[in-house]
Amino acid sequence: MVHALREKAAISGVGDTAYTRGTTKSGLALQLEASLKAIDDAGLEPRDIDGLIPYFPGGGIAEDFVANLGLPDLTLSLFVPMGGATCVAAIQSAAMAVATGVCKNVLISVGRTGYSGARVSTRLQQFPQFALAAEFEAPIGMFAPAQLYAQGARRHMQLYGTTERHFAEVAVVTRQHAILNGNVVMNKPLTVEEHHASRMIADPFRLFDCSLESDGGAAIIVSAAERARDLKKPLVTVMGVAEGHPESPASIAQRPDLLEFGLAKAAARAYPMAGVGPKDIDVAEIYDCFTFTVINQLELLGFCKKGEGGPFIMGGRIALGGDLPVNTHGGLLSQGHVVGLNHVIELTRQLRREAGKAQVKDAEVGLVTGYGDMGDGSLAILRRAA
Amino acid sequence: MSTTAPAPERPMPAPTRDSQPYWDGLREGRFVLQHCAACGKVRHYPRPVCPHCFSMETRWEAAPLSGKVHTWTVCHHPFNFFFKQMAPYIVALVDMDAGVRVNAPLRGIAESELKIGAPVRLAFEPVTKEVTLPYFVAAG
Repeated sequence: MVHALREKAAISGVGDTAYTRGTTKSGLALQLEASLKAIDDAGLEPRDIDGLIPYFPGGGIAEDFVANLGLPDLTLSLFVPMGGATCVAAIQSAAMAVATGVCKNVLISVGRTGYSGARVSTRLQQFPQFALAAEFEAPIGMFAPAQLYAQGARRHMQLYGTTERHFAEVAVVTRQHAILNGNVVMNKPLTVEEHHASRMIADPFRLFDCSLESDGGAAIIVSAAERARDLKKPLVTVMGVAEGHPESPASIAQRPDLLEFGLAKAAARAYPMAGVGPKDIDVAEIYDCFTFTVINQLELLGFCKKGEGGPFIMGGRIALGGDLPVNTHGGLLSQGHVVGLNHVIELTRQLRREAGKAQVKDAEVGLVTGYGDMGDGSLAILRRAA
Repeated sequence: MSTTAPAPERPMPAPTRDSQPYWDGLREGRFVLQHCAACGKVRHYPRPVCPHCFSMETRWEAAPLSGKVHTWTVCHHPFNFFFKQMAPYIVALVDMDAGVRVNAPLRGIAESELKIGAPVRLAFEPVTKEVTLPYFVAAG
């Protein structure tokens, strides 16, 4: 049976600001700047937006959008509290809204001053999802995501022989892609040796295994597919989309398998919904808060078996021109950290053939993941439909 | 330690009504865990409802201090300034023989000797009059 949401929604507009380290703008201003670009990209006017899913916390809330964009009749205001899995999971919520007629055009947006504003540990202390980590792990010296995720990476290395050379491959290839993109924080080439020489943050993660703290805004618009057909840009539809929540969602430490999280459950739903499998994917934008996280997710997405992610990514496979180009924009590691909404933007541009020097030839079907809140996952499979 | 010059503050636990007995246990030098009073299963971190039988009745029992290393990290960058004086430090995630995991510093062992399954024992470090934190030492 065809899933009720299959290809009912489209990514009709995308927009982002410059990705920088240092800005005088507020998170809200960055979010609105990106939102206006996305609205224009879709060929819409601000008044056409009737649904809002802003990333929270940070940036604006619905009231800010109504006040700044003069939205005359908002019909839906949501938060999707899934950390780095929010942006892709929000596509599912938006698809439900446009497929049922509750909304016509839902704006999903992020504005972040991750470099010029409060740093990551400060922000996380305020998340209710991190209350257990704050009570039981922060006092013994474990709280930052780099530390919390490092233990899973170390276990993968011990069990399967994954190495820092594999981690470096992700960092180096992602940097190559970033340089082709241009609107990125990190625009100088990175070598394997430089990766290995970068300072240790939380073993096994070195500096260049960690995503950026940066400033920027990003936005997308999800519209009903049948309406989006008449808009400005080539139609990119949502073939499949799902979110997944892991066991022990608020504590990695107590999770039976540290290397198994929400994305596996999301994939088990999104692939059948889309009617495609890993072999059909032309380009993959994978949430890269850490290099290892990309390797782990490729396993959970079924591109290779559990434990084989390290060898799988080698030999140019995930670079442009390889079998599975990954993070063709430079990702969170090299472009900027807007909680993965830049991954959705890039996939949309790839499928529209707007990806410039990083264009994957004849890209027809691609996927984008979200990963956050210590293990929540989300997956969207998009298709060039026109 | 309490007589030294003012230093950056250690992040401290803020026990809840559900977790208070765990912290009370540590302060008394005991590793006390929450068990379901109805089905007997252990759970950690503490919470109001047993996810197996949904009973809200709990009892707290002292558990053995022994366990085996599940994985670890070595923290070099002090995300909280307090830990700068200790870095680098090993944090081991341990499969306790009691059936739950504990994340705590592992002391007295070289990074090169770490391996999954290594036997360790939980120990107690009073850091204030109210709060005692766990750490691990090598066992056997």
